[in-house]
Amino acid sequence: MSTKQAIKVENLNKSFGKGDAFVDVIKDANFTINKGELVALIAPSGAGKTTLLMMLGCVNEPNSGTMWLGDEKVFENKWLTKETRKIRREKIGFIFQAHYLIPFLNIIDNLTLLPQANKVADKESKAKAKELLKYFDIADKENAMPSQLSGGQNQRVAIARALMNNPEIILADEPTAALDMNRSVDVVKMLKKIALEQDVAIVMVTHDDRMLEYCDRIMKIENRSVVFV
Amino acid sequence: MIYLAKEDIKHTLGKFIVTAMGVGMLLGIVLIMIGVYRGMIADARVILDDLDVDLWVVQEDTLGPFAEASRIHEDLKFTLKGYQAIDKSEAITFQNIQIPFHEKQLSVMAIGYDVYGSIVPINTKRLIAGRTLQNDHYEIVVSDKTDYKLGDTIPLGRDIYTVVGITHGTVASGGDPLVYVSLKDAQTLQFTYTNKRIQTDRARGIPSGGDAHLVNAIIATVYPSYRVDATAKTLRKWLHKGIYTREQQTDVLTKYVVEKASKQIGLFTVILIVVATIIISLIIYTMTLEKMKEISIMKLIGLPNSTIVKMIVEETLLLGVLAFIFGNVFSHLIYTKFPKNVVLQAPDALTLFIIVVIASIVASFVGVKKVISADPTAAIGG
Ligand SMILES: Nc1ncnc2c1ncn2[C@@H]1O[C@H](COP(=O)(O)OP(=O)(O)OP(=O)(O)O)[C@@H](O)[C@H]1O
Ligand SMILES: [Mg+2]
Repeated sequence: MSTKQAIKVENLNKSFGKGDAFVDVIKDANFTINKGELVALIAPSGAGKTTLLMMLGCVNEPNSGTMWLGDEKVFENKWLTKETRKIRREKIGFIFQAHYLIPFLNIIDNLTLLPQANKVADKESKAKAKELLKYFDIADKENAMPSQLSGGQNQRVAIARALMNNPEIILADEPTAALDMNRSVDVVKMLKKIALEQDVAIVMVTHDDRMLEYCDRIMKIENRSVVFV
Repeated sequence: MIYLAKEDIKHTLGKFIVTAMGVGMLLGIVLIMIGVYRGMIADARVILDDLDVDLWVVQEDTLGPFAEASRIHEDLKFTLKGYQAIDKSEAITFQNIQIPFHEKQLSVMAIGYDVYGSIVPINTKRLIAGRTLQNDHYEIVVSDKTDYKLGDTIPLGRDIYTVVGITHGTVASGGDPLVYVSLKDAQTLQFTYTNKRIQTDRARGIPSGGDAHLVNAIIATVYPSYRVDATAKTLRKWLHKGIYTREQQTDVLTKYVVEKASKQIGLFTVILIVVATIIISLIIYTMTLEKMKEISIMKLIGLPNSTIVKMIVEETLLLGVLAFIFGNVFSHLIYTKFPKNVVLQAPDALTLFIIVVIASIVASFVGVKKVISADPTAAIGG
């Protein structure tokens, strides 16, 4: 097993519902994503991008198959751990279309909340948060509330939040959908840089073809199968 | 260290405080209710404490003047004095009368006692002006609640009484202020009828005047070298009367007279506490609902339930404690405005505090349940 491997899935299946309400979403997915890679995930609306991402993030349970995160086998027809949430908070960073920051916490608290749950010392996580805010050019906003920041600034805070737990994997569901062209390119370039510098595997759902040139590989869902182009 | 509850409340501080004030008023009313009950108990004891006698002799098979009508002959006090154990013994009357009060009528309890007797029912510590009764007729000592001043005159029955003393804090078990008149005057007030009544009674062949030498009870003290309960036992054997020790009369007052009221107040208190718990639950439930999106996201990025549950429980407790504080402030601000004696006691507040804490924890369950069942992907949509 290579130490480069960040995500590996074998024969992963996912469907919802039963009988009339039955929807088959992902069938027999097999792929590996390596650390340091920025992978784009594209497919039409309703094809199952979010569903796939949520399985990789240990949020939604696959129906069957096997899944490794890093070298740890986390799923084999069932979760191999009771605490999937612990995997999420220790290994995975999430970014969404909206920033989803906690509105009643200021920027620095939004960032240090997850490390606090991971029992990281306050001083250490604060230092890291400040460093990230500086990196994202919003160091002066650490005591502001999310409502006092612009959309782009909040999205950068959200990306910083996804990095706070030094994740092995970042799952980004349309992180640029709410941003204008220039800002979108900035964010994707930033993700690319993070993938390289921090050796993180990033899977990014996007509808915007212009973002694809910055990605290492492009993953598609076609007829419920996951394929690379 | 981030305290989610603190930050969340800071974010909606005004709303939170107003809510706590509202619940606080409810808890304040609970405290007042308990205070009213305590006040009743305290009031009930005033007469007994002021009289400070060992034995009560009342009409046979009755519980005595505090619970029901008791009539007994005045001269029984001489019989009683004949017993070796008895030190002092005097006749006493109790009756509810109306006195003029700011153009209206005020219901008071009049105590009649022998002005020249050995037992003075007026506690001189409570006398804030004037003196006790010194003449057999037309003098009255009133409670300051009646608003009369020294030298004022009060028409009662066919006569006019002069205020010679003012007392403070003297009330009957029902909360009515006390006034004191001489035994003779009291008997006249209690047993003299109007001219018309006497006329019609005569026409019916009923002898007029009645027996004016009746009283409601004989009170007595026992020499220190004798035991009160043993003396009571002896008297019970020889006199066909109801004999009660001071403790037994206290029991009568608190059990029979105050009991119904206390049950009523107790029930109100329980209902109010249940209502407060339900209101706190609803508030916490809506506060949780308002945060569902944030809670979903917290669960999605991997925060443990314990972190979120802690926030909900802490918020509920804080709401309860704050409401409790407001409730105390509120009750202390208004309790003197009540017509009846309201006694606020620290131990009662402490008990309520414990109940509020328990109720808050119970109330937080609805929010906690919502948190645990929240879908982490609910917020992000498709
Ligand atoms: N919890 C669920 N229960 C039932 N069906 C679901 C559930 N979640 C998703 N689906 C279905 O699975 C399919 C894939 O949904 P998914 O949200 O993954 O699509 P998507 O590719 O992310 O779409 P979009 O681009 O619009 O975000 C859809 O047909 C959807 O109706
Ligand atoms: Mg989606």
